[in-house]
Amino acid sequence: MSCINSDGKLTQSATALLEAVQNDKHTPESLAKELGVPLFKVRSSLRDMSSMGFVEQIEDAYVVSEGGKKLLNKNK
Amino acid sequence: MENNIEIQENVVSLPRIGDKAPSFEAETTHGTLKLEDFRGSWVVLFSHPADFTPVCTTEFIAFQEIQDDLRELNTELLGLSVDSVHSHIAWVRNVKEKLGVELKFPIIADLNKDVAKKYGMIMPNESTTETSRAVFVIDDKQTVRSVIYYPLSTGRNMDEILRLIKALQTSDQHSVATPANWLPGEKVIVPPPKTQEEAEEQINDDSIECKDWYFCKKQL
Repeated sequence: MSCINSDGKLTQSATALLEAVQNDKHTPESLAKELGVPLFKVRSSLRDMSSMGFVEQIEDAYVVSEGGKKLLNKNK
Repeated sequence: MENNIEIQENVVSLPRIGDKAPSFEAETTHGTLKLEDFRGSWVVLFSHPADFTPVCTTEFIAFQEIQDDLRELNTELLGLSVDSVHSHIAWVRNVKEKLGVELKFPIIADLNKDVAKKYGMIMPNESTTETSRAVFVIDDKQTVRSVIYYPLSTGRNMDEILRLIKALQTSDQHSVATPANWLPGEKVIVPPPKTQEEAEEQINDDSIECKDWYFCKKQL
């Protein structure tokens, strides 16, 4: 659960990742480039967020889910 | 002694050069990571005996110092010891506070020794509770390309780890080998010819410097 803080809010890195897939789907490779984060960390975070239902996988790409959008709005 | 024998029976042979790197999913200081998360990058998977120990602290600082150089070689660092993730976090914070170095690479918390056993990192006759100073160089296709082992008492040499990865990548890229003490920019070894015709061609090739038909070097 590395993408959620102890107070139930998204971590900074998880927020950045969710915001990046908010409007369009992205592959882990493109996200790593865009966010300047190592690819292994992007893959790991996406797996975590996918298991928690915050992102959806469409073929090789990811996009924010309805649940993820709600969480992002709650964090603002 | 009984305990020692029991552990020796459980140790799986370490992966050898050319083997597929054993897959794992592990808790780390950067969350849960799988080996497959690193596909496409080279990985230096290394173990250390224990957190909050002096030799390991010098090694971790030295690994951190070469992280940028490794990244330029498309290579990520991944540490491991038989400690909890909370111990790792406390140690990382301590190194930053006391020594001013931020350790930015993930460290596997291998409390149940799952990864250590898969990679043969425990030397039972040296210690049954700590991992030795092992280094596995894993390439971007997740194949083991090199294995280095150091005992508990001896810290590793970062220049050699960098040199090794540069040599492996040079060999891959140019289909050559590298001589003893080779450094980037120096002449490389041309693979020995497999036929008489190749031997003749190689020794008459002006771009190649040959001592004899089997021993030729060239500048890349």
